[in-house]
Amino acid sequence: MKDISIPINKVDNEDKCSGKAMYVADYKIEGMLYAFTVRSSIAKGEILKIEYPVLPEGYFIVDHRDVPGKNIVKVIYDDMPVFTSGKITYLYEPISLIVGPKKEVLNDLLKQVKISYQEEEPAFDWTDSVVHYHFDKGDGLNAFRGLDRIEYNYETSYQEQAYIETQGFIGYPEEDKVTLVGSIQCPYYVKNAVIQALGAAEDKVRIIQATVGGAFGGKEEFPSLIGCQLAVAISKIKKPIQLIYEREEDMLVTTKRHPSRVNFVGYIKNNRIYGLKAVVGIDGGANIGLSGVVLSRALIACTGAYSIEHLDISGDVFRTNTVPNGAFRGFGAPQMFFAVEMFFEHVAKRLKLDSLKFKLNHLARQNDFTSTMGIFRDPVLMPEMVEKVIKESDYIKKRKDYEDSSFKGIGMSLFFHGCGFTGSGEQNHIKAKVKLKKDQDKVYILIAAVDMGQGVKTSFRKLVAHILDIDIERVIFDNPDTDFVPDSGPTVASRTMMIVGGIVARAAKEVKERFNEETFTVFKQYEQPEYIKYDEASFKGDAYPAYSWGVNVVEVEVDKDTYQVNIKKTWSVYDIGKAIDERIVMGQADGGLAQGLAYGYLEVMNHKRGKIMQKNMTDYIIPTAMDMCPMETYLFENPYAYGPYGAKGVGELSLIGGAPAVAMAIEQAIKKKVFKIPVTPEYIMELINNGEN
Amino acid sequence: MVNSYLPLTLEECLEILAKHDVKIVAGGTDMLIQNRSHTSMSIGFKSDVIYISNINELKRIYEDDMFVYIGSCCSLEMIMENELVPSLLRDTILEMASPAIRHTATLAGNIGNASPAGDSLVPLYLLDALVEIRSASSVRRVALIDFIKGVRKIDLSKNELITEVIIPKLKFSDCYFKKVGPRLSDAISKLSFAGAYRLESNIIEDIRFAFGAVNVSVVRRRELEERLIGKTVTKVKEMIDEILVWYDEFIIPIDDQRSNKEYRKNISLKLLRSFIENIE
Repeated sequence: MKDISIPINKVDNEDKCSGKAMYVADYKIEGMLYAFTVRSSIAKGEILKIEYPVLPEGYFIVDHRDVPGKNIVKVIYDDMPVFTSGKITYLYEPISLIVGPKKEVLNDLLKQVKISYQEEEPAFDWTDSVVHYHFDKGDGLNAFRGLDRIEYNYETSYQEQAYIETQGFIGYPEEDKVTLVGSIQCPYYVKNAVIQALGAAEDKVRIIQATVGGAFGGKEEFPSLIGCQLAVAISKIKKPIQLIYEREEDMLVTTKRHPSRVNFVGYIKNNRIYGLKAVVGIDGGANIGLSGVVLSRALIACTGAYSIEHLDISGDVFRTNTVPNGAFRGFGAPQMFFAVEMFFEHVAKRLKLDSLKFKLNHLARQNDFTSTMGIFRDPVLMPEMVEKVIKESDYIKKRKDYEDSSFKGIGMSLFFHGCGFTGSGEQNHIKAKVKLKKDQDKVYILIAAVDMGQGVKTSFRKLVAHILDIDIERVIFDNPDTDFVPDSGPTVASRTMMIVGGIVARAAKEVKERFNEETFTVFKQYEQPEYIKYDEASFKGDAYPAYSWGVNVVEVEVDKDTYQVNIKKTWSVYDIGKAIDERIVMGQADGGLAQGLAYGYLEVMNHKRGKIMQKNMTDYIIPTAMDMCPMETYLFENPYAYGPYGAKGVGELSLIGGAPAVAMAIEQAIKKKVFKIPVTPEYIMELINNGEN
Repeated sequence: MVNSYLPLTLEECLEILAKHDVKIVAGGTDMLIQNRSHTSMSIGFKSDVIYISNINELKRIYEDDMFVYIGSCCSLEMIMENELVPSLLRDTILEMASPAIRHTATLAGNIGNASPAGDSLVPLYLLDALVEIRSASSVRRVALIDFIKGVRKIDLSKNELITEVIIPKLKFSDCYFKKVGPRLSDAISKLSFAGAYRLESNIIEDIRFAFGAVNVSVVRRRELEERLIGKTVTKVKEMIDEILVWYDEFIIPIDDQRSNKEYRKNISLKLLRSFIENIE
């Protein structure tokens, strides 16, 4: 049989290239209304009074009083109201919807809404800790006594997902049932949130995924908020309604990557980091939401790709009166890997050691303990991967040459990504279920996984067709509809192929055994590998069932006059277990690295008293093809026993190493230590004038 | 309700301008964005509009002994590809926006928009460009440096239209344009710089500098340039620190969402220094 990795054309190429694919904005329903959102104009306070204009016939206001169920959006931590009942915690917080048939009229009505507030002083500094975690490894603090210490601080700022298609839903009523069609990653997150907001029975809410134009984590939990708002409006007005954000609204109010601050103290013994103390802070924005989970993924990654015997790790989520932050490809790991990679680099420099050798001396090996006393059970191929990347990029020679030349640099990052939900999340919270249905000569994949451009439709049909040894045309995979597919969990956390694909593969094997039967359905549920034991409270045990690994080398030139960074070339090596489709993996590799590099040197987003300053694609600078460079990528096979054909996670891994690698390359080019990202020309100028050598 | 006019001739256009209070739209790449509204709603113009992009008489590029004339409806792409146009301007256009925008945006529109970050204004100031302005009853020529009065302020009456951009034919030994944008293409400048000079046996016959996005409009100071004319290259290079001080008071950029004033000022002066150092 052919190697499954051999690429095929993506199954949705034709629909997407021809314009046939239906995005949520393409749906038109006779008699449909539009919804515009009324928002706060202050960052903190209480609403004293709202004066709405007189509404013309057929126009409606929908607010917190219309929420029939619980006025809380079900996320992980329940602290976000569907509509505020008076308390304002961030600028542009949603207060109500104005709904009606004509956008022009809605626009005018929106301008006439008058709101008076009792304003309070908003909090923008990081003092209000709402989640605090701490864990030790080895002897913790006690191991550090009497050792030399090296301390550095690192900072990362916002990143915006900048998905191609903005957030949106269209919904309609059918008797007492509400159906929403949306641009979403997690149909069942939306369904469960709407059930709670409406106080409805499970069979009275139906969520259908429209074709999704990119998500990057931005459509993980945020759609639950507007899905609830729209469902409340539909259940009140009983008409089809469309709610789609304009780009500026989307950029001003939707979740972004958490800004972070990391303080590291390394305790040195025999030229090694013997102990590490980390104090980590992330800005959660106005709601906690899933920030705690982001923080724990960051903390677990505190030693990077390395083994350190003694740890004292703590972290906080701080609440501020700013736009709530949320899921974004990498989920806390990009922040931590930037900090830890730079820290190893800087410690090596202080100790006057070669930083690559220093890192390789600390590299985690098979059967080493993880930061949480889990075990790296599978082979770790990093030494071979590093060797490969050195050979392809000529890293050693260039690294040496650029020491003596100015404004050229090369950097290397080493990293991993824990695949699937953290800890026992899969077993305890998600409990993924899948169905495969055989009917005549067709096999239907019934799962809730969303193709948001990453190729799930192609790779899953290919997987099932390959196992059954039938033509891919006979395997059907429609966009998930919660009336027909079981909850296989959200499309997040690099879990889709490894976890859901693993269950689908098991189901497909059963279908194969019974293939002579005409019509039947196979149901399978996630079974956690026996060895996974994790205690969330104490951060002890195997935080992830498997790890994907990566190495990035980035070469840059910095303009000596303007300090603009020009990326010359990148070389990457990844261990993702096994590629189900090599071209799709290469697409993830290039796109993820571009997004990770841009996080490191290009994408600037900040707020001024709670207001996001880069509110459109003119001001928020993502890379164009002109800014990117040739990218060489190599894959190492290292099959994971529970992944289909050995597959592990791909989607997030490729973003993680970009920022530290480009930051290190710039550091070499300018001969000054880099402590924060993005490394903009403005920051480079500051470093050249006042930075540490 | 907003009325739209679509004249096919200049005469027709000037008549409409004489009779009605209308906003002029050429390529529309700024006007449509500035007046944008929700998706699927019509553009939110607040007054009547005249679309001039169908006037073929304004799409010509030609020359005489003294000047190159660029019709105000020529797209940036047309200008970039025309060999009559000075290379400094063509090099600048290549750095502007994206190919799609360049195919519809006009040079006259960039002038009419009078943004402090308008890239084409930098070489046009340096080249002493003029604009021809017509109304139904008058024609006048005005130097660009006088035409632009400030941020989005221009010397144009309601009944007038920019019909041509007129560029003197100048000879330089070398000229240079540098756009400092946040990325390598399709972005608004943080700052920009243009420089040009003419040497005759190592003596500066002419020298010009222009700076974009560091003041309300492009910074060009002929009186400072004149101090250098007639001097040897060596002498001018010796004066670099002094020259930078001359420009200090005119380079007064701001902080905004794209950059900060320290960077804009420092880099502008660095580009000036590096340009002078490279004269040969």
